[in-house]
Amino acid sequence: MAHAHAHSGDHGHHIIPLKLLLSVFGGLVFLTVFTVLTAEFVDLGPFNIVLAIIIAIIKAGLVVTFFMGLKWDNRVNALIFAVGCIFVIVFLSFTIFDTAFRGDIGNVGKQTIEEEQRALEGTEEAAPAAAH
Amino acid sequence: MATTSTVASSVGSGHAEPAHPAHLQHHFVTSEQQFDAAKMGMWLFLVTEILLFSGMFVAYTVYRVWHPEVFQAASKLLDWRLGGFNTLVLLASSLTVAMAIHFAQKDNRKMLITNLVITVLLAGVFMVVKYFEYTSKFEHGIFPGAHYASHELEMAYAPQFFSIYFIMTGIHGVHVLVGMFLMSWLVIRSMRGHFSSAWYTPVELTGLYWHIVDIIWIFLFPLMYLI
Amino acid sequence: MSHTASSAHSAEATATHQGSENYLNHIKTVWSWMSTIDHKRIGVMYMITLSIMFFIGGILALLVRLELMTQGQTIMGPDAYNQVFSMHGIVMVFLFLVPSIPAIFGNFVLPMHLGAIDVAFPRLNLASYYVYLGGGVLVLLGLFAGSVDSGWTFYAPYSTTTNSSVLFLTMAVFVAGFSSIFTGINFVVTIHKMRAPGLTWNRLSLFSWSIYATSIVQVLATPVIGITMILLFAERFLQIGIFDPLLGGDPVLYQHFFWFYSHPAVYIMILPAFGVISELIAPFSRRAISGYKFVALSSVAIAFLGFLVWGHHMFVSGQSAVSSIVFSLITYLIGIPTGVKVCNWVATMYKGSIWLKTPMLYALSFLFLFTIGGLTGIMLGVLAIDVHLHDTYFVVSHFHYVMMGGTVIAALGGLHYWWPKITGKMYSEGVARVAALLIFFGFNLTFFPQLILGSQGMPRRYYDYVPEFANLHLASTIGSWVLALGLFTVLGCLIHSLMRGKRAPANPWGAATLEWTNATSPPVPHNFSAQPIVTHGPYDFEVLRDSFGGDGAGQGAPEPHIRN
Repeated sequence: MAHAHAHSGDHGHHIIPLKLLLSVFGGLVFLTVFTVLTAEFVDLGPFNIVLAIIIAIIKAGLVVTFFMGLKWDNRVNALIFAVGCIFVIVFLSFTIFDTAFRGDIGNVGKQTIEEEQRALEGTEEAAPAAAH
Repeated sequence: MATTSTVASSVGSGHAEPAHPAHLQHHFVTSEQQFDAAKMGMWLFLVTEILLFSGMFVAYTVYRVWHPEVFQAASKLLDWRLGGFNTLVLLASSLTVAMAIHFAQKDNRKMLITNLVITVLLAGVFMVVKYFEYTSKFEHGIFPGAHYASHELEMAYAPQFFSIYFIMTGIHGVHVLVGMFLMSWLVIRSMRGHFSSAWYTPVELTGLYWHIVDIIWIFLFPLMYLI
Repeated sequence: MSHTASSAHSAEATATHQGSENYLNHIKTVWSWMSTIDHKRIGVMYMITLSIMFFIGGILALLVRLELMTQGQTIMGPDAYNQVFSMHGIVMVFLFLVPSIPAIFGNFVLPMHLGAIDVAFPRLNLASYYVYLGGGVLVLLGLFAGSVDSGWTFYAPYSTTTNSSVLFLTMAVFVAGFSSIFTGINFVVTIHKMRAPGLTWNRLSLFSWSIYATSIVQVLATPVIGITMILLFAERFLQIGIFDPLLGGDPVLYQHFFWFYSHPAVYIMILPAFGVISELIAPFSRRAISGYKFVALSSVAIAFLGFLVWGHHMFVSGQSAVSSIVFSLITYLIGIPTGVKVCNWVATMYKGSIWLKTPMLYALSFLFLFTIGGLTGIMLGVLAIDVHLHDTYFVVSHFHYVMMGGTVIAALGGLHYWWPKITGKMYSEGVARVAALLIFFGFNLTFFPQLILGSQGMPRRYYDYVPEFANLHLASTIGSWVLALGLFTVLGCLIHSLMRGKRAPANPWGAATLEWTNATSPPVPHNFSAQPIVTHGPYDFEVLRDSFGGDGAGQGAPEPHIRN
């Protein structure tokens, strides 16, 4: 049935069968239960978050592909959606690229310039005082 | 390039189509062109929605990477049972809205209306649960940002978690309310018999919108409640 | 081919019929304008509104320059000065430059370039106008409610702690953003779904390509400024502590959010200008744009690359050095597609029959000014140099060379180019040329001294300066008067044209795009009397000569000897 609608021309739109909708819903419910169980009762350490995000992505994928009918839709709409997702990743990764490495440049400390100056003067005072 | 042929063919076939359906606006040649244009416009709009929420996801990620232990402790204050229940409610509403489109395409007006009404009701349930979650948080002094006054969790940066929680779920909730309004409008229109298998564009577009609201929640739930 | 010719003939028949029905006169009530869904009328409404915004922003700019004419206080105090330059930036960026060319010429010309009756969503188009108007009113309320002094960037934490009228402006930016999103969605769908039979992607005008790229950026970037403004709003009202360092927030994160929109927004402002310049250079050189595909796809490349470089506004903000380096490197890449464009425009003129009408004068000044703007931009993208030049007049001059020397000059060129089509009237060529030259010299006199000032260390946004800078500041202020004189000459010239102008022929420039070849001046309400069937590219002037005879200018065009 899908091939007839691969390029939706003048003929009618794809009708998603009820059975498919219900089984996708079943899958979504299963994944929800699964993610709750793994997150609350299984300790995977840092992999808990990875697993939860992977499950969320799979669930979102199911909704987009079947409920939203992107599988049978015009390819352009899939492209639009993909571009949107890519730019979310760009936004996220480039920002993290800063925040995760914040302060990597040598002369940026937590102290203010005044504090640093004071510290510097303090060491100078400790050194030969005759310099002043 | 597939679109080129679509447009060309739909424009070309326009001359062969003598009947001019009532829903067809003057600047389109065929119903197909109008439907495709509307749907593409909706997908573009959905992308703007995704990017709107992406800002908050970025804020979440930045603060989570900086203070993972705070976020883990803070998320324990949220009740995963309520969140999980709401997830199932929204998933079910996504199913019913997809079924509504299915029945619109099959000219089954009764089932179309039934499914839309169920969707509105499920969205209402979601909002009621959300309301109780919010009030219980407020009772414990959990407010966003500087107003945070909870004694259960007195860690630096815990207010950041709840700021992000309230802003994200708040904006998501506004989207649910908008969706409820749109669905109710669809119910009225379908009761008046405005939709048929020949034209059900508003049902289709509102359905797409509703699924995006669902998808946002699919990500919010584990990030906020579980991990 | 026969179809094109026959529709042109019918266009000719209506054109020669004096007082014929067109989009301007077919219904004349005020309500018919306010409720119109005709893309041409919406374009005209945008043109008038944006001109008013440009006027307000321009007056504010003149006040800034006047204050800086001499050292110390000249006409206003430091607080007033802060507010004036902030409002100048906000009005010019959000209310003029971002909508400018897409809203005016995109609306008027794009559907005609596509051979369509209207944009895909005409009602959304009208809605976007009113949403824009709402944003504009909010900005003006902020102007009168008083004292916005945060600059146009609203950097936290200053914007979250300074006086509360900043809230008006953040609201306004949020609202105006919706207008931008609506327009973007509308144009992308229009280009995909509304093209005339025969109009393949390779026959799309370069203006359409650039609007396409712009619209993609609008759709992808604008929502982020929306959420940024919501968060800023929440930061003020609820002290959510995301951006405010006193509450544990990170002000640099605000800058990421802001520039994720505002850097692509620079391309929202300049990409349509590239499109206009392509439309001007081709007919006034009588040659097809050389490297058409490169010029077309470079717009898309710029649109996408533009998203990867926002951090170059933040080199001195305290962001991590490693991301500064990456942002700096990617910034260089933008120079490639931009260079492709400039080289192709120059190559188009090479051995072309250059016709120095007013629009072409603007195109040439664009090439000159934009190249300066672009090259100084690459200099600023160099990490080490930027640390020295950051927040100096060098930056101010750079973006004025791009935004004013690029976008505004292109918009003026487009205005002179499409004026006969929009109004059906010709303007005085002599006066228009004088105005173009005044603008060119005034602009350079205003902003070239600022490049020198900046490299000598004059910081931007400062109210006062040391005596060494006095002469250059004076020169810049005098330049701003010449520039203003030129702009007022344009205004006078065009108003005179409306009153007394000669009737414009359908295709005064002998251009080959559909709005000239297949429509009257001004066009009929539904653009074309018959659905155009496209059989040639947008710059195939040779084909045009075959179908129309003579110089290919179509009916009513001046005889070749008029060319000078």
